[in-house]
Amino acid sequence: MTFLLRRIAFYLAAFITAATINFFLPRLMPGDPIEIMFASAGSELSLENLNALKLTFGFIDAPLHEQYLAYLKSVFTGDLGRSIKYFPLPVSELLGRALVWTLGLVGTATIVSFSLGTILGIMAAWRRGKLFDSVVSLIAIFSSSVPAIVVSLILLFVFGYTLRWFPNGYAADPLLDPGLNWTYVSSVIYHGTLPMLTLVLVLTGGFAVTMRNNMINLLGEDYIVMGRAKGLSDSHVMLWYAARNALLPTVSSLAIAMGTVLGGSLIVEVVFNYPGLGNTLYQAILARDYPVIQGQLLIMTGAMLISNFVVDLSYLLLDPRLKKA
Amino acid sequence: MTEQVLSIRNLTIDYVGGDSNFRAVKDVSFDIAPGEFFGLAGESGCGKSTIAFAVSRLHRPPALIRSGSEILVGGRNVLDLDDEALRSFRWREVAMVFQSAMNSLNPVLTIADQFYDVLRAHSQVTREQARTRAAELLKLVDISPDRLSAYPHQCSGGMRQRIVIAICLALNPRLLIMDEPTTALDVVVQREILQRIDVLRKKLGFAVLFITHDLGLMVQVSDRIGIMLEGELVEVNDAITIYNAPQHPYTRRLWASMPRLHGEQIKPEANL
Amino acid sequence: MTLLKQLMSNRKAVVGLTLLILIILVAIFAPVLTEYSPVKRVGRPHQPPSWDHWLGTTRLGHDVFSRLVYGARVSLAVGFGAGLMITVVGTVLGIIAGYRGGVVDEVINFFTNMVLVVPNLPLLLVLAAFIGQASPLVIAIILGATSWAWGVRVTRAETLSIRQRDYIKSAEMLGEPAWRIMAFEIFPNLLSIVGINLIGSVIFAVIAEATLEFLGLGDPNTVSWGIMLFNAQNASALSVGAWWDLLSPCLALALLGLSLALLNFAIDEVANPRLRTGGMLKSWTRMVRLGEGKL
Repeated sequence: MTFLLRRIAFYLAAFITAATINFFLPRLMPGDPIEIMFASAGSELSLENLNALKLTFGFIDAPLHEQYLAYLKSVFTGDLGRSIKYFPLPVSELLGRALVWTLGLVGTATIVSFSLGTILGIMAAWRRGKLFDSVVSLIAIFSSSVPAIVVSLILLFVFGYTLRWFPNGYAADPLLDPGLNWTYVSSVIYHGTLPMLTLVLVLTGGFAVTMRNNMINLLGEDYIVMGRAKGLSDSHVMLWYAARNALLPTVSSLAIAMGTVLGGSLIVEVVFNYPGLGNTLYQAILARDYPVIQGQLLIMTGAMLISNFVVDLSYLLLDPRLKKA
Repeated sequence: MTEQVLSIRNLTIDYVGGDSNFRAVKDVSFDIAPGEFFGLAGESGCGKSTIAFAVSRLHRPPALIRSGSEILVGGRNVLDLDDEALRSFRWREVAMVFQSAMNSLNPVLTIADQFYDVLRAHSQVTREQARTRAAELLKLVDISPDRLSAYPHQCSGGMRQRIVIAICLALNPRLLIMDEPTTALDVVVQREILQRIDVLRKKLGFAVLFITHDLGLMVQVSDRIGIMLEGELVEVNDAITIYNAPQHPYTRRLWASMPRLHGEQIKPEANL
Repeated sequence: MTLLKQLMSNRKAVVGLTLLILIILVAIFAPVLTEYSPVKRVGRPHQPPSWDHWLGTTRLGHDVFSRLVYGARVSLAVGFGAGLMITVVGTVLGIIAGYRGGVVDEVINFFTNMVLVVPNLPLLLVLAAFIGQASPLVIAIILGATSWAWGVRVTRAETLSIRQRDYIKSAEMLGEPAWRIMAFEIFPNLLSIVGINLIGSVIFAVIAEATLEFLGLGDPNTVSWGIMLFNAQNASALSVGAWWDLLSPCLALALLGLSLALLNFAIDEVANPRLRTGGMLKSWTRMVRLGEGKL
């Protein structure tokens, strides 16, 4: 219990750090921070609207610490300001809509690549030095060195433009009405295939190597040798003695990998014109829509912290040494 | 002569290297009789653990047991067994306590699970039956059955050591190999464990292959002792002879290198 | 030195190093390799690859090949510059935290964990967006300032285990100053970790720079692979069929990443003998096949 409480306190601190960066950045830049933040709005913003935005971001006539508290207050009440490009759409609403797609993409890709990578890693470690191991190593080297931009552009070129097997953009056929029916769902799956495939290709290798190396480092442990000496079948020792223990460090490495996953999804969404956070952000960057750019940092940090928390929970389930302590 | 529990004939083991091989065990032969307490002593790196691993064929590449070697357990050559026969031979006939028995238990499985998997691998048992049997075995080593639901990290080092011994006895093996099982424990616990093994050996009738570098400790518990030097077995003799009249110069050197502070043999008074 | 010798007998290391040296040579001798300026209009827009323009032209009529070879300079400079910064900060903080322990360790460790959970790319995007059109130098500095946390974590963990060794204890007994112990007793034992950290950071920096530029946060006048991707994407290169415009920088990035990753895997294998599966396994398998023995 204390373990979880400490983690939660830590996550809260991390979230406040992200908000603090947001608060100070415009104020540290040379020039007038208000001017910087809302420059792209030009004269379109009425004075009243501008004042409301200023309040949200803590630009009030008060000392710095009161400005800071005012900003934190808006962040923690879920008020991330309004998009300047799509005024008066609230940033939280704009990003919230996009977040659903990103979470779907990232969630599926993480589950698929983690399971796939872990299984490949287990098998490679067990067949160390054999052909299978070499093939997995080779895949891993490619997968961990070729960036998401490159993979997504090549997939788009080959399967989108040349072979025309998959669509070049959107999360679903724009002519369909969203709903929980097979036509729409299959369209979502069809449109999501290439973005998913990119992420899986980029991520699987890393997970496979982590698992393989963790397993190999364990194979000399006495309890593994004892498992074999007990006459257990090879597959039993592999799964319940070696893999089960190697999974612990692999799961904790998943927490750090989540940053890479989120970053990768930003790129993939831009390339495939997928209506998630990445694409929304790309449009915001081109328009220098600062409230949106700042909002995405908070939302991404939130997503990262929640996935870390899920990893903490699963670690707690997997490692009996943490259960009662 | 009764049939030996273990007969090792011309055992030669190499560690294969890129350019040259390292010969860890050189043409070693010896026997262990039923119920005998046999000690194998030598400095670290002399090949004694390599022999222990070979008996259950636990080696992994780059170790290589050279052709012409024979390891007979109950008259059967272990080196001729196929995968399935080998699997069912392990633990049923030869069980083993490893160097760091503290780390020999799988940290993520409960003690009960670690009895269950070995019983299950060799016979058709239900979880209930396995638990009952495990409780009996734990009783042999003075551990309360409520420890069955515990994980290894919840037990002390000495307790884990005794649990490993209980698991070793699960299938009534003919031979128990102990590969420096006491190095991580303090002297009092060491002595206690060895006395316990001796009592169990008399009660259940298994033979023991005891491996250590501590010749003084070994003389107190063994019937016969083999001395190893750089992969070769240089002397095999009764414990008394090894203690009072060592034949090989290396055995004498071994004695000379350690202070003779050990007392009489502990076996006679250990008859409980 | 033995580390270097072992590396040279590792196939992955040799292939990776050869590739990397090749790319570095191309960057250095860019003016020799192409007659075209990377920033001048030298042909009609979007011409396919031909004898005159090996990799075709961009929408603005720039020669793709000459942009590619000049762009290699930027990728390498940002990659190695930022990579070095990341590694130095990570190693120094990691050793100090691991060796000093106590409050110093707790403070460094807390900040490290904090930086690790704030997602890196979104943070970079915010920083770069406020800076405006970031030049490669600015991008390198931002990368260096924000990406050291992983290095601290692994270096610290390793230092913690080295600290327990006898020779460190004896150096302490002899009254060696802490900085000497850290620099001359601990650091040399961390070389493989530092190497892996350095190469990993270079890969990361190369990719991150390209990504930031691709997302429109770079200075569009730079000649770099990321800006090439940005321009090609903006020119809808794929939908107008000008695949060479987009795929050339893609393959260049993949090749540079691959060469570095090969080196990294090689260092890992050399430093961690358990992961190695070299010649001994081959001769072992051969001997088993010949019936010379078994397990």
